[in-house]
Amino acid sequence: MTRVTDDIIISTVARILIPFIQLYALYVIMHGHHSPGGGFQGGVILGASFILYLLTHGLEEAKTRMSEMKAGLFSSFGLLIYSGIGLLCLALGSNYLDYGELSTILKVIPAQARSLGILGVEIGVGIAVMAVMFSIFFDISTGGALPEDEEGLGERDE
Amino acid sequence: MRRDWGKEMSNFLICLGMGLFALVFLCLYRGTFGPGVLNRIAAISAIGTKTLVILLLMGFIYNRVDMFVDISMVYALLNFIGTITAAKYLEKMGEV
Repeated sequence: MTRVTDDIIISTVARILIPFIQLYALYVIMHGHHSPGGGFQGGVILGASFILYLLTHGLEEAKTRMSEMKAGLFSSFGLLIYSGIGLLCLALGSNYLDYGELSTILKVIPAQARSLGILGVEIGVGIAVMAVMFSIFFDISTGGALPEDEEGLGERDE
Repeated sequence: MRRDWGKEMSNFLICLGMGLFALVFLCLYRGTFGPGVLNRIAAISAIGTKTLVILLLMGFIYNRVDMFVDISMVYALLNFIGTITAAKYLEKMGEV
């Protein structure tokens, strides 16, 4: 499923569509707190754009954009943002993920600090979900081959 | 966008949605028992399109089109990617 296709229509449509899909995913993440959507949904859309790229441009070219290792790093980074904001609230003397306490370091009123805090958490969730979605699809389409045994990937893909 | 429909218009939209809902089941039959893979792919794609229209009708009934447009756009997008994935799978397996 992941070999390079020579279909010009599919690859051209995907190339035109992918930036708009990613822009829409960013919109869903950013407007998560006053419209349907949020971190998870936006992350799924962002992951779907990478999956579309992998489907239309083949495994080798997709690996140059987003490799398995990069996906793992991104998922850990998103989790770091999420838990970092939560633990920062905890360190400031409030409950876990109680963003009102962030107003002391952000120098804004507590209501605005809550809005900014939940936005930061949603960005973290979005990054993590995008990377995990891509990683799951990567694993399924390569048959679970790890980055170490790259040489075994070629004949399994045929 | 926030426009209040009359009761007649709301009833009309509900009847339209119920008609589409019944048509989804016909497509579901074709997708389950339909001969061949191509019929199934076409049926799944048609179900996705009908669901999109039903979502928009729900938005009009509840006077919240601005929210339901977002959901239906995601639905159309994932439907497109799903169809491409099924087509790639068919291309690799070589059975039509």
